[in-house]
Order: sequence, then C-alpha cells, then structure tokens
Amino acid sequence: MPRFQSVYCDFFYTPLTEDVEQLLARFQQTDSVRYEVFSAVWREMGFSDVFHGVTRVGELKRFCRVTLATALKYFLPPYSYQIRVGGLYLMFAFYHTQLAAPPVKIRVPLRDWAQVQKFLKDSVDSGHMDVLYIYQKLVSIKAIHYTAMPHFLSFQKQRKPKKEPVCADFIGRTTAIQELTSSDMLEELTNIQNQYEKLKQATAEVSSQVNMTHRDLSTRLQKCMSEFLTWQQKTYSGNQKNKKSGDDDEEEEEEEEETPAEASSSRARLLSSIKQKSYKNVQEASKSRRHRQAEAVESSSSGPEHVQEAAQQKKRPVSLRARTTKNLPMTDENITQIWHLSAPDEQAMIRKRSFN
Amino acid sequence: MASSHPPTSNSNIPDYEYLDVNTKPFHVGSFRNEWLNRLKPSDYSYQRDDDDTFDANFMKEMGVGAETMAELKSICRQRKKRQDHRANQKMSKNRHDLYADELERLIVGRKPESTADIIPEGEIVLTINVYYPITSERINTSRPHMSLLMTGSHSLAELRDAICCVSDLQVCGEFSNTPDLAPDFISKDLFKSSFFFFEGVFYNDMRFPECQDISKTTIEWAKARNYPAFTQAKMEDTRFMDLTIKVGFPYLYCHQGDCEHLVIITDIRLAHKSDCLDKKLYPLLIRKDRLLTQKCTVCHLFIGRWFTTNDQYAPSDPCLFCDKCFRALHYDAAGNKLGEFLAYPYVDQGAFN
Repeated sequence: MPRFQSVYCDFFYTPLTEDVEQLLARFQQTDSVRYEVFSAVWREMGFSDVFHGVTRVGELKRFCRVTLATALKYFLPPYSYQIRVGGLYLMFAFYHTQLAAPPVKIRVPLRDWAQVQKFLKDSVDSGHMDVLYIYQKLVSIKAIHYTAMPHFLSFQKQRKPKKEPVCADFIGRTTAIQELTSSDMLEELTNIQNQYEKLKQATAEVSSQVNMTHRDLSTRLQKCMSEFLTWQQKTYSGNQKNKKSGDDDEEEEEEEEETPAEASSSRARLLSSIKQKSYKNVQEASKSRRHRQAEAVESSSSGPEHVQEAAQQKKRPVSLRARTTKNLPMTDENITQIWHLSAPDEQAMIRKRSFN
Repeated sequence: MASSHPPTSNSNIPDYEYLDVNTKPFHVGSFRNEWLNRLKPSDYSYQRDDDDTFDANFMKEMGVGAETMAELKSICRQRKKRQDHRANQKMSKNRHDLYADELERLIVGRKPESTADIIPEGEIVLTINVYYPITSERINTSRPHMSLLMTGSHSLAELRDAICCVSDLQVCGEFSNTPDLAPDFISKDLFKSSFFFFEGVFYNDMRFPECQDISKTTIEWAKARNYPAFTQAKMEDTRFMDLTIKVGFPYLYCHQGDCEHLVIITDIRLAHKSDCLDKKLYPLLIRKDRLLTQKCTVCHLFIGRWFTTNDQYAPSDPCLFCDKCFRALHYDAAGNKLGEFLAYPYVDQGAFN
C-alpha cells in the first residue's frame, strides 16, 4: 500500500475549536440565550463555510463527525448555562448545514445523559422555550445516535496526550454556595443547634462533659460562605470590571457608585438572571439591554483575548503591510495578489475582510 | 433532584478505563436496558413525525400558546440550502473513496422485503474491526482489514463466518503430479476449529463434528502456570447481547490453529432509522481493505495461482504463475509433466477484493 495519506481533519481540529470558541464568545457577549441572536452571530461569521473545501467524501464525513463532537463538548458541563445553550444551537446548526449525505448523526453517550436531562429541566424551569424546541426538534428528526462512548475507539494510544485548555471564560461558576445561602438550611441549622444546647442544659449531669458540636458552627459556616462568594466574584468578574470603565451610559453611572466588588458582581448577576428570564418577557427587555450592552462593549479597552478579538476587529495592531503602504506611496495597480493556501495569515485575513 | 447523594458507579454505564483508549468491561444487554429505560419509545423508533404533529405535541407538552408556537417556528426554521447543486458535482476521482462510498450507498436505509426481517427498534448495533494476521512486516497493524456491523441478537458464529481470511483458502500439499486435484483440499473445509477470546472466556466453534476444542491447550497451560482461570463457552450459543466486553480493547480470533486476528469492537449504539434494517444482510461489511495482488510472472495479467520451486523452466526461485501460463509451460498437450519441479497452489492475499 502506498504511503499513508495525511488526514485532513487531524490538522483542522484546532483551528475549528478556535473558530467555535470565537463564535461562542460573541454569543456570550450578547448576554442572551435566544436562538435568533445565535443565528445572527452565525450568519455574520458565515460559519456554514467550514464544510466547504473538503474534497474527499470519507474526509468530509470524518470532518462532520469532528464538528458535531466539538459542538457536543460545549453542550456538556463544566461550561456555563449560556455556553451550553450555545453548544446546543451549534449542534443544531452543524447538523443542518453539513454537506454529508446521508447526514452524520450526533453521538450522545450514556454517561452524559443525566447532565442533558438536568440541563433540560433547568430550561423548563426558566421557561426558555426555544432551547427546548431546538432540542426536541433534534430528537424528532432522529439526529441523535444513542451510543456507549462519544468517539470510535480502536486502541490507538496517543504518543503525546493532548491536553485541551478549557476556555476559562466559558466555565460555569459553581452555584452550589449561592444555593446553600438561599436555602433555609442555615436557619434550620441554628435552630437545631439552639435546641441541642437547651436539651443539654436540661440534663445537668451531661451538659458540662459532652460537647458534640461546635458552639458557633452556623456563624462560622456563614462567614466561610460569604468569603467564598466574594472571592469568586472578585476572581472571575474582576476582568469584566475593566470593560465597563469610562462610560457615560446610565448603566455605568450606577455601577461606578457601587463599590468595586459589587460592580464586578453585576456580570455574575446578569448571568444568573438569564436563567430566570422567561421567553415571553425577553422580547422587550433584551432589545434594550442589547442596545446598552453593545455600547458598553465598544468602548472597552482591555479584557481577555477572545472577547477582545471578537469585539474590536478594528483595533488590532496595524500590520506591517498596512504600515508600509501607508508610509511609502503605492498605487493599487502595482499590488500583486499572493494567495496563501495554508492556514490564513494576517494579510489574507484583512484582504478577505475587505472583499466581504 | 437531590444533589447531595454521591453518584453510585453503575457498571452498566460505559466509562473509560484508559482515557480515549478503551472502556471498562460492561454487559451489552444491560447497557441496552439502561438506554431503553431512559428514553421514550418515540426517541428511538424508526418513524418520524412530520412537522405539524411535532408542533402540536410540543404545544401540548409544554403548555405553550399558539402565538408563541408560531414565533418559535419562524425563528427556528432552517434556511433552504442554496448550494444544492454543489452536491451533484463530482467529488473525487479517488478509487478507494469510490469503493467505500459505493458500499455506503448500498447500505443506507435498506429495508427488508418482509417485515419479519426488520431489525427491531431498540436493538443494539456493534461496529467491529477485524485486523490482519501478523504474517509479514509489511502488514500495517493499525489499519483494519475489514469493518463489520452486527446486531446484538447475532451469535458469534455468524461473525466467524463473515470473517474472510486467505488462510482459510490455502491448500496444503504438493501438486505437480496432479494439478487438477488441487481444489478438493481447501483448508476451510478441513480445519474448521476456531475460537474467539473475550474477557477471559474462550468461545469455541463446535458446530461441526470435525471441530476440536483448540483452546484447551491454552487453558491447561495457564492453569499450570498460576494465571487466573479461563473459562470456555460455545460460539454458536453466545449472542453479542450476552457478552461482557470493553469497547476499544483488542480481543482475539484464532482459526486454522495458528492464524490469529485482532478483533476490536469500536462502537456500540442503538439502531437508527438510517441504518440498514434488513436482518438478512447482517453481518454487514462497511469497509474492506483492498490489497495489491501479485500477478503472473509471464503474462502480468492474471493473478498468480501456482507457486513453483526448484523449477528448471522458471526465471526465479520461487516463481508465480497463473493457471494458463503454468499449464502451458510445465505440461504438454496431453497433460504430462515436463521436467522437474515442485508446484503448490497459491492463494493471493488480495483474493477477496
């Protein structure tokens, strides 16, 4: 047999992940979980083009499998609710825009089923009808294969196990502590503690000798929880805080009055409030919010890399080519076009954008 | 859902033993039951609701009003594909792709003629890779020889029958004196014993009186050397549903005494509407490797069928001939042997192309 031909999809998995993360970052920025918002971002990025350019049918099928597996990855924990919704919409979009015929199906392994059901339950509780509609649609058009494992396994050992860095901005914050504070458990704990103390006092011979619990358990617990909450908000919303500085918007004024810790928690509050937004109410609220949010985004100066790239295409450092053409007088007729067939570099990206 | 109780490790839910390499062993039938317990029958049925029925069901289930429904539908509808004409373009001239594609096209959505032969909904489908025996260094061990689909109700004996190996067709013996008698002694008919080895159990083929238990030697050897005990079972009585196996882990198929093939089960899932639904077509070949065939030294046209050594007429030792050239060179018009040579029937490795 002749030499082993290089497999297309092996080379293009990482760039696909980058593109998908860019799409999801833009979606995350809109602070919405509506399908229309997602499809607007998809159409703007022209994402259906990922399937073009694969010549061989076997490669195309393999690539479609890779895209669907990537989308499924973002549909499952540890990502935040919004990213998981984005993953679901992405699966739907990839399934319908793929060029393979018959269409490649989405492989859902058994061990992730509980997570999927929990996600759906959360969506039902929050009243996100379009999330449920999209999911039910996928099930009804038989787009899902119910499998044992997510990928085909053939005992191929990886020489260098690739550790994929999980995008930190996408990960859902643990809400366990918040749920604990909101539940009445602490009150109950204090009550039981008091009861215990009373009973102990009543039995005189035991009271001094035996002590089963710490006396100030509930206060210490509360202190620990609030410490954790402030740490969480500070660490994960700290970088979001910089985005909202220097703005004349109403929203900004309110935030500037607050203390820094509270200002940075506004994003966390936004995300948690998304869960409570029901479908009908969002029609008016999201439009106005979107308008205000867009303004906040445009004026940001720093922030994580993904978000920055997505938000400001214009503010990238000026390329060498651009600087040269600016400094030296050059007419358009003299510029020869160099088409790069390999992974696009900056010049090709800029030229492509100018044609679009 | 109580989040406080620790998740019990259910051994019927497959999980990785080594990440991305293979899973822990699990029972196939129980895995199927786990899935069926979690799904509604409509999820895995072959029928597909049309859009209006789907919308009506959704409205009823979620308690959604008609207006919201209309809004949902308009938002989530798919754009019609503008590039429909692209699908008709010639995709590639690659020969291997064309063959693989042809196999796929024959398989997809095949329905049986009688409903008794249809695969029931909720049936398990396994994808099995069979690899080459290690007979020479040129054999690529990471590329499977063939990939098959099987259902959970099929027995191991049916898988055994579907595996084609050239060593089954070998003819033993020297036939220079009696070239016409060669086809009577095919190895497949002579040596029928074979076994599968899954998770410490040898599954022997005992269907025919000539079959012997060739796993006995290994079991006794292992017992003598203090290995964990292996057990035996019958190949024809065991269905895939009854097996406890690991996905992605190599197992063994041995036939002809010493021809050993690796067998890896790469995927297990529930049956789907777009699979081939005809039970009679299983075990279903979905991929077959095509090997280069050796041609006759004389004409370079036909595949070599005879292998000669110590041949005074042949340009090399050993030498390969097709049937016509062999008889033309070594036998006269009456069929008498000319000169001294030794001839063996040869089965080319690409005989199954």
